[in-house]
Amino acid sequence: MDTVSYPDKKVIEFINNSLISLRVRYDAQPMATDFNLKWTPTLIILDKEGKEHHRTVGFIPAEELIPSLLLGIAKVHFDLNEFKDALSRLEKILSDFPKSGSAPEAIYLKGVCLYKDTKNPKGLKEAYEQLQAKYPEGEWTKRAYPYRLL
Amino acid sequence: MENKITRESQMDMALSRARSENKPVLLDFFNPG
Repeated sequence: MDTVSYPDKKVIEFINNSLISLRVRYDAQPMATDFNLKWTPTLIILDKEGKEHHRTVGFIPAEELIPSLLLGIAKVHFDLNEFKDALSRLEKILSDFPKSGSAPEAIYLKGVCLYKDTKNPKGLKEAYEQLQAKYPEGEWTKRAYPYRLL
Repeated sequence: MENKITRESQMDMALSRARSENKPVLLDFFNPG
C-alpha cells in the first residue's frame, strides 16, 4: 500500500478530502483487540462515533482503492438511514469506476437504498436486472435473485 | 494539492476531527515490517 496505492495523487486527494485517516500499527492496543485485527493491511471505515461500517483485508491497488473507500462511506450513510447521501457515493462509484470490484455491490446497495428511501420496489428489480446483465455469475447477482419477481 | 495523506495516530483525535469536519474515519492497520 505504501509503495503503490497511497502515493497515488488521486488517492491522496480523495482521502484528504473525504476521510479522517487514522493509521496505527497492527499491534497497537487496545485498538487491535477492539477491532479483532488478524491480518494487515486492514482498512476499516468508522462513523463519527467510532462504530465500524466497512472492512477490507489485504492489498488494494490504487485504481480500486477510491471506489472501495466510497463504498465504505456509502455504507456509513446507509446504516445511519441517510439514503440520499449513500446514493450519491454509490452513483459516483458507478459513474467514475464502473469496472471496479466495488461496482457490483454498489449496484445492489443502490437498489436497496432506493427502496428504503421511496418504499418503491422498482429500485430492487432494476438492481437485479443490471447485475444480471453485467455480472451474470456474480455474487451480488445471486443475492439480488429474489428481486426478479418484484 | 497536498503530496501526502494527512494522518492521525490517536483514535480520540481522529474522532474529534471526524465530528468537527463531518467525515468518516479511515482506520488503517499496518505492519511496518
